Amino acid sequence: MFKKSLFLLAIIALVVASVFVGSPARAAVTELKIIWAQWAPADFLQTLVQDYETKTGIKVTVIQEPWGTFGDRVAAEWAANGDAFDMVIGDSQWLGQGATQGHYVELTEFMTARGIEKTVTPATLQYYGEYPPGSGKYWAYPTEGDANGWAYRMDLFNDPAEKEAFKAQYGRDLGIPETWDELLEVAKFFTRPDKGLYGAAIYTQIDYDAIVMGFQNVFFSYGGDWYDENFNMEGVLNSEGAVKALELYRELYTCCSPPGLSNAFFQETNDAFTSGQAAMIMNYFAFFPALANSATNRFAESTGYFSMPKGPDGLRFAALGGQGISINAYINDERKQASFDFIEWFAQDDVQLKWAQLGGYTCNIEVLNSQAFLDVAPFNAAFAETMTFVKDFTNIPEYGAMLPIAQSALHSYVVGGQGTAKEALDNIIAEWTPILQDAGYIQ
Amino acid sequence: MTALTQAAPTQAKQRAQRRHMSDGALVRLFIFPTLIILILWNVFPLFYSLYLSFTRYSVIANRAPEWIGFSNYTAILSRPTFWQSFATTGVYALLSVGLQTVLGFSLAMLLRQKFKGSGFITTLTLIPMMLSPVVVGMFWKLIYNPSYGIFNFLLNPTNPRLATDMLANPVSAMLAVVIVDVWMWTPFVMLLCLSGLNAIPDYLYEAAAIDRASAWFQFRRITLPQVAPLLLIAVLFRTIEAIKAFDLMMGLTGGGPGKSTETVSIALYRLAFSGQFNTGQASALAYIVLIIIICISNVYIRYLNKLRGE
Amino acid sequence: MTATTPRPTFEQSGPRLPVVESIRVDRVHPRARIAGSVRATLAIILSLISLIPVFWIVLTAFKTPTDVTAIPPKLIFEPSLTGFVSLLSDMRLLSQAEQEERSQQPDLSWVDQIALQIGRAINGPSQYARQLGNSVIIAGTSTLLSVVLGLLSAYAFSRFNIPAKGDLLFFILSTRMLPPVVVTIPIFLMYRSIGLHDTHFGLIMLYTVFNLSFSVWLLKGFIDEIPREYEEAALVDGYTRLQTFFRIVIPQARTGIAATTVFCLIFAWNEYAFALMLTTQNARTAPPSIPSILGSGGIEWNTIAAGALLFLIPVVIVTFALRQHLLRGVTFGAVRK
Repeated sequence: MFKKSLFLLAIIALVVASVFVGSPARAAVTELKIIWAQWAPADFLQTLVQDYETKTGIKVTVIQEPWGTFGDRVAAEWAANGDAFDMVIGDSQWLGQGATQGHYVELTEFMTARGIEKTVTPATLQYYGEYPPGSGKYWAYPTEGDANGWAYRMDLFNDPAEKEAFKAQYGRDLGIPETWDELLEVAKFFTRPDKGLYGAAIYTQIDYDAIVMGFQNVFFSYGGDWYDENFNMEGVLNSEGAVKALELYRELYTCCSPPGLSNAFFQETNDAFTSGQAAMIMNYFAFFPALANSATNRFAESTGYFSMPKGPDGLRFAALGGQGISINAYINDERKQASFDFIEWFAQDDVQLKWAQLGGYTCNIEVLNSQAFLDVAPFNAAFAETMTFVKDFTNIPEYGAMLPIAQSALHSYVVGGQGTAKEALDNIIAEWTPILQDAGYIQ
Repeated sequence: MTALTQAAPTQAKQRAQRRHMSDGALVRLFIFPTLIILILWNVFPLFYSLYLSFTRYSVIANRAPEWIGFSNYTAILSRPTFWQSFATTGVYALLSVGLQTVLGFSLAMLLRQKFKGSGFITTLTLIPMMLSPVVVGMFWKLIYNPSYGIFNFLLNPTNPRLATDMLANPVSAMLAVVIVDVWMWTPFVMLLCLSGLNAIPDYLYEAAAIDRASAWFQFRRITLPQVAPLLLIAVLFRTIEAIKAFDLMMGLTGGGPGKSTETVSIALYRLAFSGQFNTGQASALAYIVLIIIICISNVYIRYLNKLRGE
Repeated sequence: MTATTPRPTFEQSGPRLPVVESIRVDRVHPRARIAGSVRATLAIILSLISLIPVFWIVLTAFKTPTDVTAIPPKLIFEPSLTGFVSLLSDMRLLSQAEQEERSQQPDLSWVDQIALQIGRAINGPSQYARQLGNSVIIAGTSTLLSVVLGLLSAYAFSRFNIPAKGDLLFFILSTRMLPPVVVTIPIFLMYRSIGLHDTHFGLIMLYTVFNLSFSVWLLKGFIDEIPREYEEAALVDGYTRLQTFFRIVIPQARTGIAATTVFCLIFAWNEYAFALMLTTQNARTAPPSIPSILGSGGIEWNTIAAGALLFLIPVVIVTFALRQHLLRGVTFGAVRK
């Protein structure tokens, strides 16, 4: 008797429990949340996903977090194994953590089965989607391609008097610089403190990854790299070319950077340009729309764009920005499925074309090669060219410990003027070695 | 008057008070809510991070904490960059709290005697303190901008371009941060000093004036000792806050150039967040900071009690 | 000073006081008068200097983005409301073609026109007003709680023999010593698991906890200054402890209460890090949204300034309202120890 009633109780408890546990899972997904940084492309995405709502009835919300705290917010959610968002459009460096620590859902099967991995350019798939590099395992669909490029003042470059003066001084025509040395010359030429004009505004900010990104453009083009395939840093990170690259970056800062750019990132370089202080500025392509708009840039009409110059041996690289969209591993299966469906929709050629037309930087091969894309914005030609020679900072899970070390070593030398370029790079090696040793990459 | 001052509560009197109600019940009623709330909200974070400080753990790694004893502490203490950040914090706290104390006290002395509109002026000077530190950090970046900021413009209105970028040089960057902190928090010290000053009875000065005591004597023997307790509380809290300083420096310099303004709190933030998420080591560093603050506070409090005891 | 020292009322005074109002002989001397006006002038000049940055925030709030970055800095300019409009509305960047199209439209409202000046169109109101409301609820309630609880504890600590008093007080102080950066993560995890994440109650309690240590210590400092003799006299007169607390201690601790209120309010009102980590939508206060105004092109200084200005006004109002109490000082110094 007693056993029976216990049994009955247990069954009732099970049923009740399954109703409670099961009911939210069984409910149809009506809303998807995507977390991204607070910037214009997120607005574009919010506009684009209205089409998805009309088509499927599922409301998609793009949660925007300020850049400075975007990473911390997402990581806090990971720490709580939280399901506050379904998808994250995360930085390329996060892939290692997302993949190895189980925060991202693996997309390999989904992307290969539907042929999605073939619709995007190989470089973007490698940097925004694949981890470990070369493994063929995918964790994100390349969403917003981005890289460093340059904006310049065409009115200054095309001024006949300037052209003549430049030719007299340097013995060649003034034009878009082909190499870093030429860029330095042009920057020096336009630096006129008495007139409030300076040659070039570059990234110098110590937070997150700014100065590393800016320096990488020169560093990779001069044959430097963070480490070789065996994680050997000696002679690679501090090679002769790397030292020269860092010296050039510092010279560019000391000779030709507008005052006040000692801690500058995308906003500061854009500000230097729109206030008329800089003849050329380095920035991510994603921040150029503000320069192409005459309401935010009084030189908009005469603003031109070019991609990164070459190193002395013809090597050419641009530091990679941009993000891929990944699925949060902590949401339930129904929401995962709904997220897969969304990405499948998003990856279609016509949706990607509309994404590009709204101002998003698609990674879709077809769209990138289309005339329609080149016509959308004045800088898209330079962007399409740049995306063929991009290269990124390391994305192993230890990147988080390595990045601040590199940031502060580079900032000390470039802005603070402490020590030599060789010492700065040697310091990075010295501080990185124990980290890579602990993680087992090197002995 | 003297009779009143010396009238200390005697045991008999205290017993007499209990007639009306139980003092013990009153004390419990008054203190327990505070203590309970503090315990509820602090015990978990405090002990959890203490435990984590002895483990290898990253909050985002999806791996259980692994007990490693004092390794985190030895790792931190053997790293020269951390000593450097402690030194930076010390310089920063000393400079900014020192200046705030001197300026705040002087300002209070100036505003002590009422004049027409003095109440209004005093309240106006409190405004910097009311601003959000995040906004202050960002906004002073605009003020310090060598091209379109007003700082250099006011220093050298004819040719502001000649002035330097305060935030680009290791020494001037520290100075720049100290200036902002002093600007923001001097009113805090000033207000507490003013309350203390207003409490000093006039007859003390009268007696001194009749005795023809020098102004310096009046200051040393009357003003200073009377204000000291409140001044010390102000300085104690400013010191604690200066050691923990984060928002302002993050907004203004991000710890740069290089590491020249990187205080312990910024080093801590870099360890605990921003991609590293080395929770174990960050907790250990936090506890080291906590121990330092406890030691410094103890010195202050002892001094405070000594002042009060006399 | 002599004129403003209020005559103690009977209720406050308890036993009769010695005469505290007298003309100070050292204050009527001409030299003292000159010194007094020199001091006043110096005080005014110093205060004005310290207000320059605040003044600059006000100016910047009314500038257009181009005027903000003008070289040299502009003191005189045509005031514009673009900062406030972009603060209070959610906007999107228009392309060149769209801008021209919109500028042809005759029926644009004035806010739309302002938005068009900076090449934008308004989608709808921003979250700022709601966040400001949250700030009022959260900062207000937590300030009230921390001052009331702090006052009760401060009185008890000041007046009674409590076992291990020093240790308890030190414990209370120590809750403020751990760098917040580190407690953020445990508190985040704790709040997530007990459902306090993104709730008003969660933030209110957190700010109360954070302010309590300060409130207890500061108020104890003020109450210590109040001589016990009045309370004792009142007790002899048949007042209960509670009555003496309400009728004698609280009125005399007014300055302390006002100062504590202002300081607690300032902290709770401006707190950024916890608000950022512990709220998302529902309970988000205004400070985390101010840095997010940074914009995607350049820094929108005028919008930041507008946000800072709107955010400053409530605290300034409260402080000015409490001014009389704040500056009154502890007046019963005559019998101070």
